[in-house]
Amino acid sequence: MKTTTLDWRQALLMIVILGMLGITAFPIYWMLVTSTTASTDLFASPPHLLPGLSQWHVFREVFNTTDVGNWLINSAIVAVGTTVLSLLLAVLPAYALSRFRFAGIAIVGLALFVTQMLPEAMLVVPLYAIFGQLSLLNTLTGLILVNTAFTVPVITWILKGAIDGVPIDIEEAASIDGCSRIGTVFIVVIPLIAPTLAATAVIAFFHGWNEYVFAQTLVSAPELHTASVGLAGFVGELSTPLHSVMAIGLMYTLPAVFFYLLVQRYVVAGMTAGSVKG
Amino acid sequence: MAADKQTAKAQAAAGGVGWAPYLFCAPVMLYLLVFQAYPLLQELYLSFTQTSLLSPGQHDWVGWRNYTDLFEQEEFSQVLVVTLVYTVACVVFAIGIGLGTALLLNMPFRGRGIARSLITIPWAAPPVAVALVFIWMFNGQYGVLQHLLNFLGLSSGMEGWLDNPSRALTAVLLTTVWQIFPFTSVVILSALQGVSNDLREAAVIDGADRFSVFGAVVWPAIRPTVMLLTLFITIWSLRRFDLIWLMTQGGPIGSTNTLVIELYRRAFTYRELGEAAAVGMVGLSLALVITVVYFRLTVRAERAAGH
Repeated sequence: MKTTTLDWRQALLMIVILGMLGITAFPIYWMLVTSTTASTDLFASPPHLLPGLSQWHVFREVFNTTDVGNWLINSAIVAVGTTVLSLLLAVLPAYALSRFRFAGIAIVGLALFVTQMLPEAMLVVPLYAIFGQLSLLNTLTGLILVNTAFTVPVITWILKGAIDGVPIDIEEAASIDGCSRIGTVFIVVIPLIAPTLAATAVIAFFHGWNEYVFAQTLVSAPELHTASVGLAGFVGELSTPLHSVMAIGLMYTLPAVFFYLLVQRYVVAGMTAGSVKG
Repeated sequence: MAADKQTAKAQAAAGGVGWAPYLFCAPVMLYLLVFQAYPLLQELYLSFTQTSLLSPGQHDWVGWRNYTDLFEQEEFSQVLVVTLVYTVACVVFAIGIGLGTALLLNMPFRGRGIARSLITIPWAAPPVAVALVFIWMFNGQYGVLQHLLNFLGLSSGMEGWLDNPSRALTAVLLTTVWQIFPFTSVVILSALQGVSNDLREAAVIDGADRFSVFGAVVWPAIRPTVMLLTLFITIWSLRRFDLIWLMTQGGPIGSTNTLVIELYRRAFTYRELGEAAAVGMVGLSLALVITVVYFRLTVRAERAAGH
């Protein structure tokens, strides 16, 4: 009798969880269904619920007729650049925040926290002027620089949490062997926080891949559009067939989701090591 | 405490602090100065001027007028109300659903690892793509959500969502919560894994039911994490732009017009950079006030708890 009630509970739990997963996955599934539904069937009632297996050519079509390939490459450049620059900038201050007590440490901490409150849309006007002076308008480098300004604070804080967990004795051994302070950071500390480093790399990559406001306002040359800007251009645009738009949306979403699923173990582990402890 | 001891030991080993921490922090501080602090000061200055997007070099100093104008306009009180509703709803639903999901995913069941990865998919999806597919799903005539409501008998006929002033905010909120609750659930889940099983079992042996175990053992352990998440979701909701802008641009008739959307409209639609900056400063002040109150309350709560 007891086992049957337990099984019943387990079944209920599975149903609730499958429902939950259905809700989180459905919009992406719906992009797939819409992109592979023939134009004539898009406005059917009731709607087609399964992807149309004969419609795969839509992906090749949008690739040939739009700039989506170019947009995806630009997004990838911005995302990779943001990741590399963010990590380069964040490691040393994270180490300093973790290992030293120095006058002004509170100011550094506060500066990192306050940036969380600044809306991108607010800074875009003054940044436009600054970018004009630095000749950064209409460059992917400019986007990398400005995205990094928004990822570095979070990443510094998460890395600080991870470095807190590295025993200091290991560093002492290295310094007795004649290793310099910076040498210790790169040779000893970085390998030990590799999972967290991977997690922060993913966070930076997503930020660069997904960012919209700056890519829209600081870059106007069409050949430098990122996928977010290219795709946003279809909102309210009636001349482009809906299934093409959804195909582009899917080509933009899936790399991010796959990449995330590959590395999400590290992201969660890294976040636990860093951010949660505060 | 242990971390502090470690730090002291590290400093002693290095023969005092010296210039190292300043050298280590200098690049980031310089970087934030150029890309965050300097533009912020520019924006503060702009908020006291009348400046047009068409001739941004020409600033006419107007003192507090942009601010006093804002609070005299009736539409601006609507902006504040919409911002408040949006932010509070994001926090309540993202934390509530995130907590519920985390508790579910913390139970033992087959395929738990896979479920834990898949639940986080929305978090990885680009907001622009999310906005586009939700616009399509919320389509009043052909959208799949309207079909679902009709099928369930919860609605009859076709009604618009994003073009309907009384439903647009709900639609935008559903989309936002869909995108952010996986993040809260993952963070709460990792906090749950730190809850001692011994304590939990001891409580069960003492005859505690599910709810009292949660109240006595689980909640105190995850409370700091949930409180910190609440602060972050609040701040992030106050500055969220892309989803709302792409789905509604603040409309219809201002029903989804939050502070950040209003700021963007004033800057790029009406080309009034000074007024836009004042709106931005109001939003930033709100975030600062909430943060200060939050830290005051947590410090007081910790003192009350005897720490």
